[in-house]
Parts: sequence; structure tokens; C-alpha cells
Amino acid sequence: MEFGLTEEQQQIREEVRRFAENEIVPVAGEYDEEEKYPHDVVDKAAEMGLTGPYIPMEYGGAGYSILDTSIITEELFSYDPGIALSIVSTSFGCEAIMNFGTEDQKERYLEPIAKGEKISGAAISEPDTGSDVSSVSTRAEKDGDEWVINGNKMWITNGTVGDFFVVLCETNPDAEGRYNGFSQIVVESDRDGFSAEKITGKLGIRASDTAELVFDNVRVPEENLIGTRDAAFMQQMQFFDETRTAVAAQGVGIAKGATRAALEYAQDREQFGQSISEFQAIQHKLAEMATDTEAARNLTYKSAWKVDQGEDITKLASMAKEYASRVAVDVADEAVQIHGGAGYVDDFPVERFYRDAKITQIYEGTSEIQKNVIAREMLGKGF
Amino acid sequence: MKILVTVKEVATVEDEFEIEGTEIADQYLGADLNEWDDYAVEEAVQLQEAGIADEVVTVTIGPEDCEQTIRQALAKGADRAIRVWDDALEGVDLLDVEAKTEILRGVVEEEDPDLVLSGVQSGDDSWGATGVSLAEDLGFEWAAVVNHLEHDLEDGIASVRRELEGGVEELTDVELPAVLTIQTGINEPRYASLRGIRQAQRKELDVQSLADVGVDEGVVDSDLELTDMYEPESESDVTVWEGSAEETAGELGDLLRDKGVAP
Ligand SMILES: Cc1cc2nc3c(=O)[nH]c(=O)nc-3n(C[C@H](O)[C@H](O)[C@H](O)COP(=O)(O)OP(=O)(O)OC[C@H]3O[C@@H](n4cnc5c(N)ncnc54)[C@H](O)[C@@H]3O)c2cc1C
Repeated sequence: MEFGLTEEQQQIREEVRRFAENEIVPVAGEYDEEEKYPHDVVDKAAEMGLTGPYIPMEYGGAGYSILDTSIITEELFSYDPGIALSIVSTSFGCEAIMNFGTEDQKERYLEPIAKGEKISGAAISEPDTGSDVSSVSTRAEKDGDEWVINGNKMWITNGTVGDFFVVLCETNPDAEGRYNGFSQIVVESDRDGFSAEKITGKLGIRASDTAELVFDNVRVPEENLIGTRDAAFMQQMQFFDETRTAVAAQGVGIAKGATRAALEYAQDREQFGQSISEFQAIQHKLAEMATDTEAARNLTYKSAWKVDQGEDITKLASMAKEYASRVAVDVADEAVQIHGGAGYVDDFPVERFYRDAKITQIYEGTSEIQKNVIAREMLGKGF
Repeated sequence: MKILVTVKEVATVEDEFEIEGTEIADQYLGADLNEWDDYAVEEAVQLQEAGIADEVVTVTIGPEDCEQTIRQALAKGADRAIRVWDDALEGVDLLDVEAKTEILRGVVEEEDPDLVLSGVQSGDDSWGATGVSLAEDLGFEWAAVVNHLEHDLEDGIASVRRELEGGVEELTDVELPAVLTIQTGINEPRYASLRGIRQAQRKELDVQSLADVGVDEGVVDSDLELTDMYEPESESDVTVWEGSAEETAGELGDLLRDKGVAP
């Protein structure tokens, strides 16, 4: 058993820290307040290769493992979750192309993502389809050698800034079984009939772009289908291990950043003639925050490591996602408490962490859904 | 053309710290690549990307611990690294400029570069002397505190702009082989890319002893001794002029000239 990071992994973490401190921290408040997508920061991150680090070297990426990618995600989120999500989400949906795409699709879609020339998105949720993914109703019909797509997608990260989306569509409504008859189809945002409307007023991760997508008789060539027709659900399920581990890493990062900020504030702030970090009540909070974060990190790294070993880890990935997101919310809460009134305004980053943390319990499967998955696996029931 | 860049891992210090004897207590210290060296590496890598340099080699004097820091330069594009270390250097309190000069000269003689770039100074010891001392010792031409370098280097000439005191700059030509000490701000150092970090793990990092670079162990003997370490009393002084810009600009000008800030 090996718990240490390699020298290379430490080096990645250091360089990402340098990038975040110089390029993200000074502008984080502004992008949050204005609810504005951080194009400039994303461009700089792309130069460094932070967009699609797991994309293989031959397609312009760095070929990093899920564990390496988790380390990058954790570090970025510990400085600002909104901008961090904008950076790590530039390749959303690409895991499907990487695993099931043809050589031509990989070249066409992965390379520009790795180089930072394009942004992608994954479009699954709909106005009436959230936790119950099998109720997807966006329809793709074959017409000659084209797919014709109609429907709405909701809450789509990168919706108004993305260049293409991997869209989960119903392709065979007559298929037997609730999980059959869906396909993943790439839709480029410059196709006729495609439109996106930005969703504003988010509680947190406000730098990240979220939108509703409308497909009105959008036509794409048949070669935009990823993998096997009607089998998207089975394809999609395979990435849950990866994507849930990634959200767990986001949670660990948020907890780490909130703890860092609280530790610093506790040492600076004086009351009753001493630093508040001298009070045992504050010390215990800090100790619990650090311990919970470390526990979440270990669960997350184990989950990432197992994915890299090629193991199927449905239960573990859900555990990591559920636990790390809960720790993120709890730790951010305590960090605000340690700041007192100063934590309730935007002078300090903890106010933002507090708002940002919540999303990790919602997207990529809510906490309730994660617990359903864990229990189902324990009880030996299928999905 | 071959470029040798001298690099060093320096100690970084937290804002608040304590001194123990002649050292800053360990718990307040971190380590990083010397800031000036980061600019020197960037300049060399840019010369390579422009097709002017064929090879960029870094050299450092330091223990194994510093390899991770030194790999930063490889991740940013240097081709290979040399690290000089020796049992004789272990536990030496103060490796003075003379010793560094001798060791680096050994490496320069072995590598035979056309251009040596060093940082103006190191962020911890701040001698600000190693590059120039090395040039003197080698009989190379040199330019110190370089904040611009023309990227043509035609006919074996480096056209540089150097920063003098009092805000004055000098344009000058130096003949290669030469040593340039690089000032911060000459370029904008890049972040190491993830691909770069990955590739750096496989680049050559050659460890050499004093004997390998042809230097005697006696090099560590120094005439210098570190006798004390203390925080200097800092004095600050403020002058405020009341009145419009027209009325007060002249007074500000006089003061700056008086203090030697402006010529
Ligand atoms: C900022 C943001 C970005 C997003 N990005 C994307 C994206 O890029 N792509 C994408 O496809 N989607 C995205 N989403 C959508 C996200 O994945 C969904 O919001 C999430 O899956 C929950 O679905 P829902 O909102 O419809 O909630 P619902 O499914 O309506 O859930 C409401 C509540 O009911 C509970 N619940 C539902 N079913 C059960 C059950 N069986 N047992 C117990 N409790 C249950 C839920 O846990 C929750 O508490 C994003 C959402 C947000 C807010």
C-alpha cells in the first residue's frame, strides 16, 4: 500500500498553486460578483494545459491519470470554485468521446479541447429530468444520413460558451427496458436551430456558465453519434466513477481552501486580549475541519486510484462524492463561523466558499441519489 | 548555440519569523526556484524557441533535496540539468562567491557554452556577484543587470540593455562567449505546462562531484564567516506637500534628485 504522492504529482500541485495564487485569487471576487465567465483566466489555464489534463498526449493533452486530475481539481477549487469549475469543465462530455469515440472523432473533438481552442459540455438534465435520468425526452430522429434533434436541456455547464455538447438523446422510444434506447450525439453550437440562454442568479460558482439549451430541428451528420446507437445509458454509467470522483475532489478542495482561510483568520483576529486561535473552542473547530478534509481526501484519492486501476467502483465513487461534498459544506460553514461577522460579507473568501460548497451536493447526482446507490450496492440490487 | 543557465533553490521566509543563532528557524523557511533564475531560464527557452539556441542546460550547486525545484526549469523547457554536489559541501555554512565561481567554472569549461545566463542575485544570500565573478574568472565578457536582450545574437554579439542606478539604462554590445546576469522583468516567465512537467521527469539530471568538475575539496574553505543574523531596524520617512501638482511637482523632483533616485 502506497499513500505518498510522487515527485511529479507534488510538482503539478505546486505549479497549479502558483497559477491559482497569481491568476485566480486576484480576480475571483470580481467574476463572482458580476456572474461573468472568466475567458481570460481559462485561456491562461489552457496555455498551461489545465484544460483536459487527462486527454492523451497524442491528442495534445498531458495524458494524466484520474488521480493526477483529482489533485489538480482539488488545488484549483481550494482557491476559487467558480473559476476552478470554469477551467476543469472545459472538457465536460469528452470522457465519452475518449472512451467510445472513433479515431476521427477523437482528433476532431479532443485536440482543440486540449489546446484550449474549444470548450465542450455534457447535456443530460432537462427541465423535467434530473435525478431520474431515464426520463430524458430530447428526441433524435434519423433522417437520411443525419440526426434531427428536438428538445430542451437544463442546467448545462458551459451552455453559452461551449463549442460543442455531448447530448443524451432518446433515439428509440420503443426500446424495451427503461435504460435502453438512448444515444450520445455531439451537437456543435453553431448548428442551425441551436440556442442557449444563460441562467443567472446562482447561489455560488457564479463565474461558471450555466444555461438552458434549446434544440429546434437541429441537424447533425450521423457521424456525430458517439459509440453505439441506443446504448448511451450503459456508456454513461461507466463515467460515473470518474465524474463522481471528480466532484469529490472539488469538495476536498473547497474544504481545504476554507480551512486554510479560517486558520489564517483565527491567528490574526484578537478578542479578550488574545488571538482567537488560543480558544479551545476554535482550536477544536480547526482540528475537526482538518481531520474531515483529510478523511474526504483519502476516500477521494482511493476512489481515483481505483478508477486508474480499471476497477469498477460504483459504491466507492458514490461514497467519496457524498462524503466529500458534505465535508465541503460543513467545513465552509465552520470557516464562516470562525470569521464571525467578517465571514458574512465578501471581504474574505469564506463567504464565497460557503455559497460555492452547496453545488457539490447537487450536481452529478444529489447526495440522496448517492446514498441510494451505496445502499443498492450493499443490498445487492441492480440499478 | 548552447546556453548554460545557473539556477539555485533559495530559501523563502514567511512574513513573521524567528532567528536562532545565525539562522532563521527552520519552521519559517520554505524553498523555491530563485526568482531571478526563473527569468533567466525563460530568456534561454525563448531563445531556443526562436531557433537561436540549440540547447539549454541548467546547472546548480545543491543537495538531492533541491532536485524537485531544479526540475521546474526542465518542465519549462530546458533540455537537461547538471547538479554538482559532494560530501565536502555537506554541512558547509557559507558557500562563498569564490567557491561558487570555481565550481561553476569547472562546469563551463566542460560544457563550453556560448552564453551563460545567471540571475542578478539570489533571493536568500543576495550576494549579487556570482555571475560577474564567473565571467571574470573565465575571461568572458559580461553584462550585469540585463533587462533586455536582442534575440538575434548575430556575428557573435549580444546587444543588451542594462539597468544602472538612478533609473538610468545602458545599451551595450558584448561579445560571445559571455555571461549575462538577468534582471526580473526582462520577460514574463511561463508556468510549467502539465505536458512539460510530465516530460521533465524523463529529462537528464546529471549529478557531478567536485572531482568530476575538476575542483579540489579545499574550495569550501572561506575567508568569510557568518557572525551574526539580525533584523535591521527599518526607518521610514514621509514628506507630504500641500498644494496643486504645478506647485509641488518641482519639490518632488528636487527630493528625488536629492535622494539619488532620479539623475
Ligand atoms: C450549477 C449547476 C450546473 C449543472 N451542470 C450540469 C451539466 O453540465 N449537465 C447536466 O446534464 N446537468 C447539470 N446540472 C443538473 C444537475 O445534475 C441536476 O440539478 C441534479 O442531477 C438534480 O436534478 P434536479 O435538479 O432535477 O433535482 P430533482 O431530481 O428534482 O431532485 C429534487 C430533490 O429530490 C430528491 N430526489 C429525487 N429523486 C430521489 C430519489 N429517488 N430518492 C430520494 N430523493 C430523491 C433529490 O435528491 C433532491 O433533493 C447542473 C445543475 C446545476 C445547479
